[in-house]
Amino acid sequence: MAGITLRNLVKAYGRVRVVHGIDLDIGNHEFVVLVGPSGCGKSTTLRMIAGLEEITSGEIRIGGRLVNDLPPRKRNIAMVFQNYALYPHMTVRDNLGFGLKIAGQPKEVVAARVQEAADILGLAQLLDRTPAELSGGQRQRVAMGRAIVRHPDAFLFDEPLSNLDAKLRGQMRAEIKKLHQKVNNTVVYVTHDQVEAMTLADRIVIMRDGHIEQTGTPMEVFNRPANIFVAGFIGSPPMNQLPCSAEAGGLRLADGTVLPVPARLAGKVRPGAALILGVRPDDISPEGSGLLATGEGAMVRLTVDIAEPLGMESLLYSRLAGQEVQSKVFGPRLVSPGEVLDCRIALDRAHLFDAATGRSLEAA
Amino acid sequence: MARILTSRRAALTPLLLLLPAIATMLFVVALPLVFSLWTSFTPYRLTRPDTLYDVIGLRNYIRLMSDAAFWVAFGRTVLFLAIALNVEFLLGLGIALLINRITWGQRGLRTIMMFPMMFSPILVGFQFKFIFNDNIGILNNALQSLGLTDQAIPWLVDARLAMFSIIFAEVWMSTSVFAILLLAGLFAMPRDPLEAAKVDGCNAWQVFRHIMLPFLMPFAFIAMTIRSLDVARAYDIVAVMTGGGPAGRTELLWTLIARVGYDNARMGQANAMAYVSTLLSVLFTWYFFRKLVAARRYMGGAQ
Amino acid sequence: MTRDLRRQLKAAALWLTAFLLMVVMCVPGLWVVLSAFRPNREILAKPPVWLPEQLTLDNFAKIFGFGADQVAIPVAAYFWNSMVIALTSTVIALAIGTAGGYAFARFRFRFKNAVFLGLMLFRAVPGIALSLPVFILWSRLGLIDAQLGLIIVYVALNVPFTAWLIDGFFRQIPEQLSEAAQVDGCTRWQAFWRIEFPLARSGIAAAGVFAFLTSWNEFALASQLTRSTDSKTLPVGLMDFTAQFTIDWAGMCAMAVIIIVPALILTFLVQKHLISGLTFGGVKG
Repeated sequence: MAGITLRNLVKAYGRVRVVHGIDLDIGNHEFVVLVGPSGCGKSTTLRMIAGLEEITSGEIRIGGRLVNDLPPRKRNIAMVFQNYALYPHMTVRDNLGFGLKIAGQPKEVVAARVQEAADILGLAQLLDRTPAELSGGQRQRVAMGRAIVRHPDAFLFDEPLSNLDAKLRGQMRAEIKKLHQKVNNTVVYVTHDQVEAMTLADRIVIMRDGHIEQTGTPMEVFNRPANIFVAGFIGSPPMNQLPCSAEAGGLRLADGTVLPVPARLAGKVRPGAALILGVRPDDISPEGSGLLATGEGAMVRLTVDIAEPLGMESLLYSRLAGQEVQSKVFGPRLVSPGEVLDCRIALDRAHLFDAATGRSLEAA
Repeated sequence: MARILTSRRAALTPLLLLLPAIATMLFVVALPLVFSLWTSFTPYRLTRPDTLYDVIGLRNYIRLMSDAAFWVAFGRTVLFLAIALNVEFLLGLGIALLINRITWGQRGLRTIMMFPMMFSPILVGFQFKFIFNDNIGILNNALQSLGLTDQAIPWLVDARLAMFSIIFAEVWMSTSVFAILLLAGLFAMPRDPLEAAKVDGCNAWQVFRHIMLPFLMPFAFIAMTIRSLDVARAYDIVAVMTGGGPAGRTELLWTLIARVGYDNARMGQANAMAYVSTLLSVLFTWYFFRKLVAARRYMGGAQ
Repeated sequence: MTRDLRRQLKAAALWLTAFLLMVVMCVPGLWVVLSAFRPNREILAKPPVWLPEQLTLDNFAKIFGFGADQVAIPVAAYFWNSMVIALTSTVIALAIGTAGGYAFARFRFRFKNAVFLGLMLFRAVPGIALSLPVFILWSRLGLIDAQLGLIIVYVALNVPFTAWLIDGFFRQIPEQLSEAAQVDGCTRWQAFWRIEFPLARSGIAAAGVFAFLTSWNEFALASQLTRSTDSKTLPVGLMDFTAQFTIDWAGMCAMAVIIIVPALILTFLVQKHLISGLTFGGVKG
């Protein structure tokens, strides 16, 4: 078991830099999720940790040991690939035991460890099948089993659930979480799905264009996004972003509506500044059918364009200050298009970003 | 420093892996080609080794320019290839479309299609020499037995018929290359665009012309590239069927080279001709390979 | 005309075309095979004898030198030469081509396309054109009329195409498998032998068959680089028959059968892989 440290890690293909000197400390036993849109450098970073990509400059340490120039096999890590990468010509048993066999472990040890892993993952019945005879979820489990038999210092997951259908994905997510609680390894997990990131991570690392945008626990990045990108990426449906300008009386939106400045940010707003007001759909609701409305708020009148009933709640699309805004009605209530609703914006949970830099005023 | 070393080693690996292949080709093909380029500037005769060092410049090539026999053979070769390849492509396309529609016994038909590809050209030549033989060939025997003719048609003796027979043999041997690869293309074709086109109101011909054919072209180019690698195998067929005769009427570039180089022992002259034929083949391969690369670039999006 | 009838007619037309196709494809070969088992006088008979009155193995016995009236052509020696030359050149070409194909499939490097094209263009040189300088050089190296001389040439003939096919087969194997094996503790070399090679094996076998057949069938170069029973191969030997005053059709047919039968069996075994290798490597960039 060991932590992983990245120092000023850079990856470039020729002149094109895809990872721009990132720093990250991953603690022992920690479950860290690298999340970001495709092309953000998260997979490249993971592959550099695994030793599958050469690093251009910087340092990687696993358990304090500098591994920059070590081949994958000497890093004592295990990896679960997006397409599982099961060896098609071997049975599940051989797949699980392959790493140990290569390492020259005696047969009894291999058999015992394979059995142990198979028991943890419920694979005992499948040991003599080949990967072609397994379902998607079973393959996924074998891939994880192959990782745990070797008792590695760290697990690396590269978008392991993206090939599964939605229902199975939810199931496997829970299994991965259980597995981590059971074997308690250091985990680095790459995904583009913010739901996976939120549900699995001890700590989320949000990346974009080869930079780390923010690092923090799921609740930290959800409640205090460092910038507009994080605000828009974490949370579903995404946060509404309303351009506004700061005035003496409050925040003036594009159509002239003036909203009060959230009290906790009052000291940080410079008059005349161009800002973006960020409000999650969950925080805009008709009076009485939203989240517990105890904090400060402001009222706006919205005309519903489209309503998407989801059962216990409905997602509403309407226009505010010339822009589409999503809001929510909680409770099993039918909303029809054209309905005019007086909605309350929960300002105590709203965010303000500098329009030019995109940075949260909270952070400044 | 260590990192520089590893990255240089990483760049070196593919080179090391390719080294044996490159070395083989350089030693067995490139080196002899350089040598033959040299000899094509000499009056080299096998019987007089000293002539190898007697440089006569472009005289062999100049003589080629005014050599009627050479130009006739050259023209005949180009014509032969143009006819054979077009017929092979069209027949291959037809056969692929046909087999694609046959559901029962398709595997068997495909297997049979493969076989001519594996026939040695020399065997194909012999086989058709046997079949087209004016006296005992099955073709004339059949025609006579059916009462279609009472004469022995001189398939391999009459100049025109001999050319036809040779092209027939060539087409028989190589059509499968096109048929098999185009059939593979048909199998790999995604159904959605075809169905979308039908829904959009295309008729059968329009679907074929605008959807299937563009999709098949890369496969056709693979076939063309493969074929271009061994068009000169026609030498074997001609050598056994007619030997270039009657009276040089089926002489192709390649048989002419053999005659001048080995029978007449005029190596310098033959090498000049060989260079022309090599250039022809290389250009041909290069052209279709480029087409293939270009075609698979836009196929990349589809896959 | 009812719709049903029209459909049936269409199906019948399809079948008829397919049947004709089969006839054109098969009859020439079958006729040669049939004739190999008939006595020469029956082949030469006028009017023609369509259904064989007797089938015999005499032709094979004769060309292999058994029996009373044997043919002066040493087919057994040719067969041996063909086997040795084709097998040896195939094994070497496979080793070289596998290395090259793996490099094309798995590595990015400068001039990759140029190298690939270069190999192809070298392969495109007509055999007869290449035979002229090779003949002169080999005669200086003492490689004329030697099995080794042909083996070297055939290796070069087979390397480009073998590399092309094998490139295609390796590309069908996800790169992640090798990476997974490396994470599991393999060196790249071990990952290749334990994971990638076993998975590409049937494809490599197909490429081997193709290479074998190319060598087995080659004529243009062999006809110039061989002289005697020391190195003459079957295709060259077949021409021996035509040099004789009267053509021994039955003997030639028997020899043709000997050449074609191994080829057909091998082709039949690997046809599926052959097509997939050609198209995969070619179509996917």
